[in-house]
Amino acid sequence: MIFENMGFYFREALLSFRRSTLMSIATILSITTILIIVGMFLLISINSSLFLKNLESQLEIAVYLEDNISKAELNNLKSNITSIDGIKEVKFVSKEEAYRRLSEDLGEQKDILSAIEVNPLPASFEIQIKDPKVIEQIANRVAEFKKVEEVEYGRETAERLLNFTYIFRRAGMLVLAFLVFASILIISNIIKITVYARRNEIEIMSLAGATSWFIKWPFIIEGFLQGFISAIFSTIILYNFYFFAVNKVHQAIPFLPLVVDNIDLLPIGIAIVLLGSLVGILGSMFSVGKYLNV
Amino acid sequence: MIRMFHVYKNYPNKIQALRDINIHIKKGEFVFLVGPTGAGKSTLLKLIYRGIVPTKGQVIVDGINIARLKPGYIPYLRRNIGIVFQDFKLLYDRTVYENISFGLKAIGATNFEIRQQVKKVLNLVGLEHKRKTKPHLISGGEQQKLCIARAIANEPLILLTDEPTGNLDPYTSWEIMKLLFHINIRGTTIIMASHDKLMIDKAKKRVVRLERGRIIEDTQRGIY
Repeated sequence: MIFENMGFYFREALLSFRRSTLMSIATILSITTILIIVGMFLLISINSSLFLKNLESQLEIAVYLEDNISKAELNNLKSNITSIDGIKEVKFVSKEEAYRRLSEDLGEQKDILSAIEVNPLPASFEIQIKDPKVIEQIANRVAEFKKVEEVEYGRETAERLLNFTYIFRRAGMLVLAFLVFASILIISNIIKITVYARRNEIEIMSLAGATSWFIKWPFIIEGFLQGFISAIFSTIILYNFYFFAVNKVHQAIPFLPLVVDNIDLLPIGIAIVLLGSLVGILGSMFSVGKYLNV
Repeated sequence: MIRMFHVYKNYPNKIQALRDINIHIKKGEFVFLVGPTGAGKSTLLKLIYRGIVPTKGQVIVDGINIARLKPGYIPYLRRNIGIVFQDFKLLYDRTVYENISFGLKAIGATNFEIRQQVKKVLNLVGLEHKRKTKPHLISGGEQQKLCIARAIANEPLILLTDEPTGNLDPYTSWEIMKLLFHINIRGTTIIMASHDKLMIDKAKKRVVRLERGRIIEDTQRGIY
């Protein structure tokens, strides 16, 4: 029965688009606007998430070594550190390298170093870790190894940063949930108005003896089309607007990390299309149900 | 065809729309429901097509107890009942033809059946020449005829009409009545709620009088 009549349902849905062109355009414009707002927030949130990740990845542990460490002990220590879970990269910085860096950092004032006869800087390992949350645990473990003079990881800075990113992420999720919820309400209300405009048809069909699914299908298809078309429009508009904005930002701040990979942006497009289509379908289904009880 | 046993209907605002209704309407009968506004005429009609369920009592339509009818089966009950409303309930963005074909399509008729039936009923009510016209461009009497054509298009056993001549002049009203008699003669049971004294007296059919939710009179060949 359903597939037998699919042609009829589609014709009815499309006819309704044509019969009330103005209403359909208004509906699509409204839904498009709301989806654009949701999409903008999603774009902002993936970019800030990338920014936070970048920030967190700059946290590293510096392990200063005792001066009397032998070559064998050095290799041993390195493999011990590498074997700890959650280590991304371990880089050795020799005494000479440290000295060179310092003189580079000092720039024009590097003459100060000439007053010192022996290189006072210790050799060290620079450890990058996968998950910044466990930085303290890893630092404590490394500190227990032999020939380790001191471990440094900017404890307070790390804690403050992690606190900040945690709150920022939670707040973002909350706002996102609220925004999606609000958009579902608004879109289904817009759909409800289009169904309300045709409540006579629903009543007449119901009194003529049409089954409720027969009545619902054209509306479901229409709701889907309205949601889907709006979603496509919003995605196209967002995409163009986003890359325009990215270009402008990069002209002003060239090194700001921004999501520009299409693969990373794809989930946002999919989310918008799903949101539009699903709410269109469900919104019309429930709205028709309300007018079916004649 | 229709039987009611001790039927009561109370609306949520505590109004007793119907009280202890007992009635038996046989197949092929023509029955006028008369009585002042608010007497319960429309409520009685709604019970028959299961627009509402009785608060108490039994309503049997074509052997089916409508109170026990599962929602999924309501459409199939309604396919045996044609309904004509005082306010027409036409789709004004569709043609005369489409208004009738719409209802037929809704109950799963094939395109061939639809073409045949629409042509037949349009001929019967004399609107064949207006088939491509939108309803707001035809007269009130013609709109009422269109409603009747739509209601009988799938040849229902029962035709319910709620004041079908309410807004029409006496000449057009009589034309509508003649049309309904014609449909009745072909075997359709007709129940017509009406205030139209002139028509009822002229028709000499069974008259059921309602007052404040009770049947106070039920006479064959009655008058208003």
